Amino acid sequence: MESVRKKDVPVVTVLDPKFKYEVAREPGGENIKYCFQCGTCTSGCKVAELDSKYNPRKIIKMVILGMRERVLSGDFIWLCATCYTCHERCPQDVRIPEVMNALKNIAVREGYIHPAFRAQAELIAGHGRLYEIDELANEKRTDWGLTEIPQGCPEVAEIYGITGLFDLLSREVGGKT
Amino acid sequence: MPGMLQDAGREPRIGVYICHCGLNIAGVVDVEAVRESARFLQGVAVVRDNRYTCSEVGQKGIADDIKEFKLNRVVIASCSPRLHEKTFRTLMEKSGLNPHLLEMANIREHCSWVHYDDPVAATQKAKDLVRSSVARARLLQPLLRTKGQVLPEVMVIGGGVAGISAALYLGGMGIKTYLVEKEPSIGGHMAMLDKTFPTLDCSLCILSPKMVEVAECENIKILSYSQVEKVEGQVGNFRVQVRRKPRYVNEDKCVGCGDCVAKCPVKVNDEFNRNMGTRKAIYIPFPQAIPPAYVIDDENCRYLTQGKCKICQAVCQRGAIEFDQTDQTETIEVGAIIVATGFEPYDPRGLPEYGYGRFPNVITSLDFERLICADGPTYGKLKRPGDSTVPKRVAFIQCVGSRDQATGCAGYRLDGGTGSRGESTDPKPYCSRVCCMVTAKQAFMVKEKHPDAEVYVYYIDMRTAGKGFEEFYQRGRHEGIVFLRGRPGEVEEKEDGCLRIISEDLDSGCILDLTFDMVVLAQGLIPPGGLGELAQKMNLSRSEDGFLMEGHPKLRPAETAIDGIYLAGCVQFPKDIPDSVAQAGAAAAAAAVTCSKESIEIDPLGPVIDEALCIGCRLCEVLCPYGAIKVEFTDKGPKAKSIEVACKGCGVCGASCSTKAITMKHYTDSQLAAQVKAILEVV
Amino acid sequence: MKMAVFLGCTVPVRNLSYELSAKRVAGELGLELVDIPEFSCCGYPIKSVHHETAYLLAARNLALAEERGLDICTLCSACTSVLTEVSYELATNEALLDATSETLGMLGKKYSGKVRVKHFVRVLYEDVGLKSIERAIKRPLDMFRIASHYGCHYLKPSKIYDRFDHPEAPESLDRLVSATGAFAVDYRTKKDCCGGAILGVDEETALSMARAKLDDISDRGADAINLICPFCSVMYGANQRKIAANHNVKYDLPILYYPQILGLAMGISHEELGLMQNPIRPRALLAKIS
Repeated sequence: MESVRKKDVPVVTVLDPKFKYEVAREPGGENIKYCFQCGTCTSGCKVAELDSKYNPRKIIKMVILGMRERVLSGDFIWLCATCYTCHERCPQDVRIPEVMNALKNIAVREGYIHPAFRAQAELIAGHGRLYEIDELANEKRTDWGLTEIPQGCPEVAEIYGITGLFDLLSREVGGKT
Repeated sequence: MPGMLQDAGREPRIGVYICHCGLNIAGVVDVEAVRESARFLQGVAVVRDNRYTCSEVGQKGIADDIKEFKLNRVVIASCSPRLHEKTFRTLMEKSGLNPHLLEMANIREHCSWVHYDDPVAATQKAKDLVRSSVARARLLQPLLRTKGQVLPEVMVIGGGVAGISAALYLGGMGIKTYLVEKEPSIGGHMAMLDKTFPTLDCSLCILSPKMVEVAECENIKILSYSQVEKVEGQVGNFRVQVRRKPRYVNEDKCVGCGDCVAKCPVKVNDEFNRNMGTRKAIYIPFPQAIPPAYVIDDENCRYLTQGKCKICQAVCQRGAIEFDQTDQTETIEVGAIIVATGFEPYDPRGLPEYGYGRFPNVITSLDFERLICADGPTYGKLKRPGDSTVPKRVAFIQCVGSRDQATGCAGYRLDGGTGSRGESTDPKPYCSRVCCMVTAKQAFMVKEKHPDAEVYVYYIDMRTAGKGFEEFYQRGRHEGIVFLRGRPGEVEEKEDGCLRIISEDLDSGCILDLTFDMVVLAQGLIPPGGLGELAQKMNLSRSEDGFLMEGHPKLRPAETAIDGIYLAGCVQFPKDIPDSVAQAGAAAAAAAVTCSKESIEIDPLGPVIDEALCIGCRLCEVLCPYGAIKVEFTDKGPKAKSIEVACKGCGVCGASCSTKAITMKHYTDSQLAAQVKAILEVV
Repeated sequence: MKMAVFLGCTVPVRNLSYELSAKRVAGELGLELVDIPEFSCCGYPIKSVHHETAYLLAARNLALAEERGLDICTLCSACTSVLTEVSYELATNEALLDATSETLGMLGKKYSGKVRVKHFVRVLYEDVGLKSIERAIKRPLDMFRIASHYGCHYLKPSKIYDRFDHPEAPESLDRLVSATGAFAVDYRTKKDCCGGAILGVDEETALSMARAKLDDISDRGADAINLICPFCSVMYGANQRKIAANHNVKYDLPILYYPQILGLAMGISHEELGLMQNPIRPRALLAKIS
């Protein structure tokens, strides 16, 4: 799809014109094609201020152009802090954090899940929560006069099973099943 | 008011008024110093400065001074006479002075505005200008203005949407209007468009009812296939010579049955379809043409070029074919003229790097209109010209011939130096205003016909200022059209006729190396060929961009510097259809105001010829650009005579006269010499 | 007023003092908070990975509240965000509600779209009201300068929060702080994000984001940061020493949860509000009060 020239200037010869439609079909990705590259999102982005890898305007342009693999395999899509500052300000109602979620969802389906998010998803499947409530935790709660909380929540794993998330989590990185 | 002429004999008593124009002048020029410098000039009776001389207060002050100081000349140092000469002349008339005893010194446009960075020098220049104006004012002579009759008729030159609209407004007001069109049919470029932005109305569906209305309006006379040869006279009374080319078909007899076309043996390229299809030598440009009559192309007709054929005449049952028609010249007298000769599309062969004319699948926006039009060469099927396949990947390149100051290839001639196409291939520095929306529309139409097609637009800036324009552009993006910020440098042709474009995508920072089936160049709008000659015939100025200059860029956009001549549509500057129609309305209103007057006062400019000094050398006759001076034989020998109605007062005759027999009224040699002498004085 | 309290994952394990003080203050103000033991993770961390799963987790939690006829009161802003979003979407998108109900049916649950979700602080601001709060103040905290951190998901996306406070010029927290008698400190980076959401992806960037705000608030001479979210607490509280060490700076900036500030002003003892169990012990602050 692309070769890399000297000095890291990407030269793109093949684009996937369907990618923008694919993203637009994801929940939250609907308005991506309205983007007119004004840069309001990047101008107010605290992550972009600290890390040039993350530039929401550029990511959206890459999607519109159809640089599918480059976007989905990039770790930059996982850098959105979902602060919604751009979401509030975007003059075209692109809803950038939701677009990033849409991209991350597609990336997961392609086997590109970020390890931190995989770990979170697995913890939640196991305990129903990000943090395990063990006996020690409940003892402490009782000491403080707070109610006990049941350990685990099997229905969460059931939901994973229904939606197929377990299958997705078992995919190899960057590959198919 | 002949009594005013008596002022001439008295000693000059001049009132001098220096205007601050708020801070426009006073912010740079030391107005008090200028005032004091004029106080003791010869003939000056009173000097004052005003914050705004043109204000009610400023004007009243002058009127009072005229009475109190018995002034007989007035010098006003302020803005350009283009703005307020009329104001102050009226004031003088009201105060009982001849209006030609006013002299204005332009210390704003010619001084404070241009020398804003050097107040000392600007003040000195203002003093010099005032001194020279006073010197001229001393020698000013009262002049009698003549009254001219006003013919309540208007000529509209150009039958595009602007001309059509202007003619309809005028005709609707009951004003007799001549609509002159050089092509066989009215309609102009709008007739060639498939759809119009941003509503996607079919262009001819909205234009042809107006064309029919023109044909049916009893106050409008269409002069098709006709061109203006000569314009004489002035506001209220222009005499326009129109050359009517022979159609070889009697407009009144032809019913447009088409029998002649079927039998005509000559096939040639169809210019209405941008040479992408063919027509016969006898043809009608498009089905909705007005007048709805056929025309014979005398450059290609077998009979007219080779002397035998006449098949059309044989098959025409109405006897409408008239091979004996010849050029006719008609002289039409009108009170006002509206120029609406439109534009010409930029010819991208002037930018050979884009390959137009070399690569069959590189086309222009106007070509695209014909390609996608149901009446076009492909009957509305989008096919690329190279091999008639349906393009799946289409690129549009914006600003082709616009926003381009490159001089590397300027003047490049495509035809080996004969120069016939030179001007149309030079890129222009201005923005042509409509191309962004034209491209947005055309890209949308590709998507509409072929939703799976990939459509890319290379642009520098998207300019979508207009009602509904931004929304339309947004709709295009939502349909999946990809807008790429970045102007490609070159289009390369591949073996299969596809086109490769390498560009920088400024948004993502990537170099894009993409291949397309077809490339559409968004050609700019440039002044129409022959506009220079027409402007000269009418003494109209052109702006730096080559279009006709309006009376005032803000306040008189539909007028010109010449009273009685108005502008409508793209001949003034590129604009879209609604703006052209709006300007046509403004021009029609202005022309109607002129026609509503019973008589018009004419500035008494022009030559006075001293027969005793004239030796009949004919130099003035040869040099006069308007044919307004002729040498006649009298009993005293050959003598030059001025033809007042044709004279525009340019002064060429006066300047060239070797025996000083010609004096220009209001610009006499002595007045100008005094002015020059005063400005060169060392004070 | 009775609501189901949604604790989420972090609060009941790591921010007990937040839960404790919220429940304590709520009781005083006549807001009854009911625990629902079957609540799970809200779904927020899954939204990036699998949208449908996240929505179902949220809908399941909403269904549990609906079974009991209760609206939801949240303590964590991230939980607020996803629960509000899903409640909003299911209330306005019938097709989505039908599809969701069908899947919930497989778990023996049903949801009809009735539950509304509000952050605890928004309940104080809108439902309890500033007047009632002012009336409950017994010990005005006029010796405190407090800088409020609004965080992101408490206010945004503003559309799903009925725009109750303007995300570009928020004032609800400052007014709630002022109601306790404390001085609400204004500061330049007030609206900025804590960075918590990317802590696991790029720790350096996340901690730098948090640092910018700690610097700003310290410069303004605040006694404490007012927080309303356990995620933000991780960044400004639990990670404060790490940031200081990494960037070679020093902070003495205790974090307080709003119900703790309010509780103190209502005359409740700091032990009952768990102040000394906060990630940064507010010793200097408590010294000011006694």
